[in-house]
Amino acid sequence: MKKKIDVSLQTINTINKKQIRPIPRWEFVAKNWGLWLGLGLCLGLLTIAIGISWFGIIENIIVPYSWLFVATVFLGLAFLFFEKTRRAYRFEKVWVIVFLVIIGTLIGGTIFKFGIASKIDRGLGQRSSLYRQMVPLKLLVWNNPEDGYLSGEIVRLTKDGLVINSFDGKEWNVLTNNPLVRGRIKIAVGEKIKLIGTKIENNVFEAGEIRPWGGVENNY
Amino acid sequence: MIDKKCQNLEDKELVALSIDDSQYFYCLMKRYEDKLSRYVGRFTYMSDDDIADVVQESFINAYQHLNDCDCNLKFSSWLYRIVHNQAINFLKKNKQGIKIDIDNDDEFVEWLIADVNIEKETVTKYFNSQIREILEKLKPEYKEVLVLKFFEDKDYSEISDILQKPMGTVATLISRAKIQFKKIYEKEN
Repeated sequence: MKKKIDVSLQTINTINKKQIRPIPRWEFVAKNWGLWLGLGLCLGLLTIAIGISWFGIIENIIVPYSWLFVATVFLGLAFLFFEKTRRAYRFEKVWVIVFLVIIGTLIGGTIFKFGIASKIDRGLGQRSSLYRQMVPLKLLVWNNPEDGYLSGEIVRLTKDGLVINSFDGKEWNVLTNNPLVRGRIKIAVGEKIKLIGTKIENNVFEAGEIRPWGGVENNY
Repeated sequence: MIDKKCQNLEDKELVALSIDDSQYFYCLMKRYEDKLSRYVGRFTYMSDDDIADVVQESFINAYQHLNDCDCNLKFSSWLYRIVHNQAINFLKKNKQGIKIDIDNDDEFVEWLIADVNIEKETVTKYFNSQIREILEKLKPEYKEVLVLKFFEDKDYSEISDILQKPMGTVATLISRAKIQFKKIYEKEN
């Protein structure tokens, strides 16, 4: 009859003979902190990316694909970091992703609401021409009367509406027939505004919506 | 001598002591050696020597990672997880599948009768033939949960910690195992 192997004895002999020691605690603590730090960092960058995406979609009327791509990358990284944490297995993967998206959207929305997203966008645009190529300037987007976007400074008020000087120096007669006014805005000479509407003829534009130039989230 | 010292100590206390003195780890190994060897034998086709190798590798791995032991969980769950992963790696390396080597275990028989709706006489009569054959045909992930639930007497929370799957997934796997078992049983009858 085959003798039963004493695994415990064999193992303790191996441990003693090879002088195997437990890996120091600090290595696991450092790894754990690294994971949470990585997760926090990715979550932070995810919220900024979502915040600027909100800004792009709502204010610039463009879908900022570059920022959406950045948001997707950091969402993926945040998910991977979370999955490496100790108790991550207790949560369904799909709910982890949904949770990260909700958190990112809420904090990103707050970043947009308080004007931080637009400041980051402006700051990046001033520092990098490459960034501006990837994320078009608000001015370019809002100077397309053919596509229904116009912006400029109010130079006078008329009985049919107002006259603005667009930022490229042209004068436009803007017809306002009860347009939707978004954000805190004062229709007065010297105010800078954005318009959404239709170009009727050369230098005549019918506004369906009026917004402050600074953004509906923060009228600076 | 050390065996006597260990007798009244809980797993958590032994883990703490093992970090500085490997002899206490010997007590932990003694406590779990048979259970773990039986567990590996139940879901693999390994020989006794291979089982011993897998359990030994698992113990060494556990010893090296004692400082990472999530001892807020049951120590046994943590140890089962290490052995499980080690065994799965062995099976992958040797291109083997998961099997179930089972006894006519009471709780499992009760499950077959109550949940899968198989008559008691059928289970008793065909346990060693048909029932075993059907178990062999189940998907590997179903076999894993069935072994842990019915043959290792682990609850959902422990199975979740061992297999590192959410508890809801564990419940789903058991439920799907039942459906698949029933399907194969009905097809064959």
